[in-house]
Amino acid sequence: MKHTHLFDSPGPRGLRLIRMATAVWVAVLLLIVAYVVWRLDARGQLAPGKWLPFVTNVKLLKFLGEGLLQTLSASSVALVFSLLLGIVLAVGRALGHRLLSLAIAAYVQVFRGIPVLLNMLFLFLGVPLVLRLNISAYSVVVIALVLYNSAVIAEIVRAGIAALPSGQRSASLALGFSEFQTLKYILVPQAVRLMIPALVSQFIIIIKDSALGFIVGFHELTAKAQNAALQLSNPLQTYIVIGIVYVAINLLVAHISNWIANRKTNTAG
Amino acid sequence: MSDACSVPRMGHDDMSDIMVELRGVDKWYGDFHVLKNINLAIDRGQVVVVCGPSGSGKSTLCRTINRLESIDQGSIVIDGRVLPSEGRALRELRANVGMVFQSFNLFSHLTVIENITLAPRKLRGVAKEQARQHALALLDSVGIASQADKYPAQLSGGQQQRAAIARALAMRPEVILFDEPTSALDPEMVGEVLEVMTKLAEEGMTMLVVTHEMGFARKVADRVLFMDEGEIVEDRSPSDFFNQPETDRARAFLSRIL
Repeated sequence: MKHTHLFDSPGPRGLRLIRMATAVWVAVLLLIVAYVVWRLDARGQLAPGKWLPFVTNVKLLKFLGEGLLQTLSASSVALVFSLLLGIVLAVGRALGHRLLSLAIAAYVQVFRGIPVLLNMLFLFLGVPLVLRLNISAYSVVVIALVLYNSAVIAEIVRAGIAALPSGQRSASLALGFSEFQTLKYILVPQAVRLMIPALVSQFIIIIKDSALGFIVGFHELTAKAQNAALQLSNPLQTYIVIGIVYVAINLLVAHISNWIANRKTNTAG
Repeated sequence: MSDACSVPRMGHDDMSDIMVELRGVDKWYGDFHVLKNINLAIDRGQVVVVCGPSGSGKSTLCRTINRLESIDQGSIVIDGRVLPSEGRALRELRANVGMVFQSFNLFSHLTVIENITLAPRKLRGVAKEQARQHALALLDSVGIASQADKYPAQLSGGQQQRAAIARALAMRPEVILFDEPTSALDPEMVGEVLEVMTKLAEEGMTMLVVTHEMGFARKVADRVLFMDEGEIVEDRSPSDFFNQPETDRARAFLSRIL
């Protein structure tokens, strides 16, 4: 990673400009932070009593921890099934049968277009009515996330396959592999590797979107925080704390996948 | 002439044994008539070099023989069987016809040895250890045994192309198509690839080679086909072709490249 910039290395005048812009940007940022802190303090929002429970109140931490586990569990399950279904859909589309492609394209367009929140409501209201089945809030959230994210991942993997040099497919066919075997052994493994950054972004979106589950009574991190905030009467502090938790989780996810991706590309030269 | 025609060959004794035959093959890209009434028979064990200006249809001709490109008219017969247009029969035929590409096309997510063993293992059910032993022997014969566990990106162009030849050989094909195998190589690496191809030819492999390497054509080929504007204009022994080309088009081409 020697040359990471897309442009010419800046000359002396460019460097001065960059330094000045950086200084201005940092100054503005500091001013905004200072103003926010000052206003919060003026309104008594920085009082230790409002923040200390997040360190000392074991019951509260346990309560929020349960929510965090639910968030991680639903997101991970949704990720696995979205990935599997997304790859199946992308493969189905790449096989080139017209009717199958059309059906998959329709699926992608519909479920990529519907807000996840609406998906959850449809499932929550519709499944008991149509199938006469009781469906748990957890299942509603996971299925709604899978419907949306499998559609997005199908497109990501399809783009990855399209981005591969056409010679990879020719070489595989020339050896005697079928179209399906070519996708399975040659194209999809490379496309998924190529698309790891996009797939990581999608996992982060899944984690964040799981918070929408509160609408169907799913007790994940955000819903738990809402409950806790009502009892402690410190909603702002609670939401700031769980906001930080979300960012921390997503940083961790990004780091782990970077590490995996780097290991892969290092061994692949 | 002590040229290529008289080079003794092993592995074939019946010269009327036709390996690849094209009969009246035509192909269009839209309005562009890329192959015009191609008639061609390649005997088992023969090495046929195809040359001609760019856009003359030589690569397309090469790619029709294992149906990477379809044809619009005529028929192609390989080892006595008409080239099937789809399905298992086509795949089995392709497995029997090796192909080496200009841009190597090694599978970039697999090591060299995995590139070579994948098809025998998945398509022929060869056991892992057996496939590995065969692959190592092939790598040894193309001179890159020490590169077995590297990824394609870690190899030089010449090494990649030799690995690609080993990959084609792993399926024990009866004929190998070479589509400009040295055109993407740095000049100093052309020799090592041609050397491997020459060795293959001496072992009696049936080969169709699209190339501009006229030294290779002179030394190794049994026949040289000269193509221009989708037609086979000349089909001669190398010595005849290089010493007394029959057509103005061939003369003009040779004067440009020699």
